[in-house]
Amino acid sequence: MSVATRLNRPPFKRSPVGRALTSQWGARLTSYVVFIIGWQLLAMLVERVPGPWETLDFIWREVSGGDLGGVRRGQFLEHFGATVPRFAIGLTTSFVVGTVVGIAIGSVSFVRALLSDVLLVFLALPAIIWAFLTVMWYGLGWEAPVYTVILSATPFVAVNVAQGVRAVSPELHRMSDAFGVPRNRRLRSLMLPAVTGYLFTGLRFAVIIGWNAVLLAEWFGATDGVGWRARLWYDAARYRGFIGWAIIFIVFIFLLDGLVLSPIQKRAFRWRKSASDEVDLEHGLADMEAIAKTPFL
Amino acid sequence: MAEAATLEGTSRRLAGARLRRASGVVLGWGAFVGLWAFTSSVILTEFTLPGPLKVWDAIWVIVTAGSWADDFLISISKTFMGFAIAVLIGTPIGYLMGRAGYWKAFFHDGVVGAGSVPGIVYAMMALVIFGIGYLGPVLAVGLISMPFIALNVAEGLEGVDTDLLKMSKAFGRSERQSLRHILIPSILPFAFAGVRLSFAIAWKVEALTEVFGSSNGVGFQIRFAFQGFSIPRVLAWTLMFIALLLLIERALAVLERWLFRWRTWEQEE
Repeated sequence: MSVATRLNRPPFKRSPVGRALTSQWGARLTSYVVFIIGWQLLAMLVERVPGPWETLDFIWREVSGGDLGGVRRGQFLEHFGATVPRFAIGLTTSFVVGTVVGIAIGSVSFVRALLSDVLLVFLALPAIIWAFLTVMWYGLGWEAPVYTVILSATPFVAVNVAQGVRAVSPELHRMSDAFGVPRNRRLRSLMLPAVTGYLFTGLRFAVIIGWNAVLLAEWFGATDGVGWRARLWYDAARYRGFIGWAIIFIVFIFLLDGLVLSPIQKRAFRWRKSASDEVDLEHGLADMEAIAKTPFL
Repeated sequence: MAEAATLEGTSRRLAGARLRRASGVVLGWGAFVGLWAFTSSVILTEFTLPGPLKVWDAIWVIVTAGSWADDFLISISKTFMGFAIAVLIGTPIGYLMGRAGYWKAFFHDGVVGAGSVPGIVYAMMALVIFGIGYLGPVLAVGLISMPFIALNVAEGLEGVDTDLLKMSKAFGRSERQSLRHILIPSILPFAFAGVRLSFAIAWKVEALTEVFGSSNGVGFQIRFAFQGFSIPRVLAWTLMFIALLLLIERALAVLERWLFRWRTWEQEE
């Protein structure tokens, strides 16, 4: 009897709310809520740390304009207008130069022997050193941030592209030799598909490292730009402004990734498998793994 | 006879390749130092970019002054303290991520986000929370290396032999026993690899935090030299910093191979 009732009972079903909470999106949303609560607790414990609402209020005022504490506001766009072109020029240059150097290192063994040790030293050089040096060379202005981005991001692009070139299977190369495949077709159908993934990892690197570099260089050697603005609040010991700008820096890099890099990457890889939500989650992690596995960030 | 001849030919060819490689490395260093000397004396000036000799002199002065080891030891101790914190927090996170889809989704944004935040933000956060002192750089190192360790541990868990787990269950082993004898031994190598891989990033952020706010350590010395407009000293400290970075990374790799030599069968490639 008892067995029969158990069998007759409808199968266990979670309520819609429970299902929503345990779904992928529910989990992500919960993590944000937990993060904000943790931040609030930290702000209550450490006096110097501003709380989330305070910081949000600061960001809103910084973006929307108005006056606070005698500092003129509403220059948000002006500062981004100064920083973004520097970042873009530096990023483009380092991507192009890094790709060329990476192809040379990956395909010519003599160049590899020539450059690999030197590249290691350049990979290990902290961006702050380039910021200090370029400020000494060019003074305060737009040059120091641009050159800091180029000098610190190029080695990372080069390393990734070189890895990609070396990952092309030598058998396919030999087969192309045997069947007399012309050079440009080999480049298009053999090298390009193999290297694209590495190119994107290199680009991601360049973005993360370049953004850090432009901020550092502006902090120490500029008279405008977002890095300079963050320093302004730091020097004034207004931690709300300081943390507010740190949040803006993080949001910027997330937006860049979500709105620019990921769509391009998806388009470039549309020949692989269809991208579902699940794959997307794996994708971010795979990128991080690639970053972790590149020698010497 | 013919075999011996081909063998000899192969070894000669190999020796030739090795010679070419070695000459490339020597040439590479030579070109690097030469280009550096050329840039400093012709393109720029000795003041804005001191040449190799001048930097060598500065290194010599720092080394003979004797207190450089203290600064390096302090920076290294901060870095490894940060690693300890990162392992303590990152391993459980990675454990959860590797075992349950819910936690993977939960931590995904945090881990990927924490890995792509610029180092300057960590330096700033550490300063605001702890002010100038010992704990700031420790926190910065902990924050930046934690996601890498968590990811590595999660990856390690996915590679755990599930048959072993099923078997231990079938033979009535407790959860704790399978944790102690199956899960932890398979995770540890990955946690260690996470530490080694994130060492270079962590070391740089540690120095950066010291540049912003510290009263000792390598980063502080770099900042001090910069404020005194002494570029040779900036470069001297930096080169010593890089040399130590490469050395410690190698040492960690050797230690890793020694500690986890029992799993060499997995690292055939």
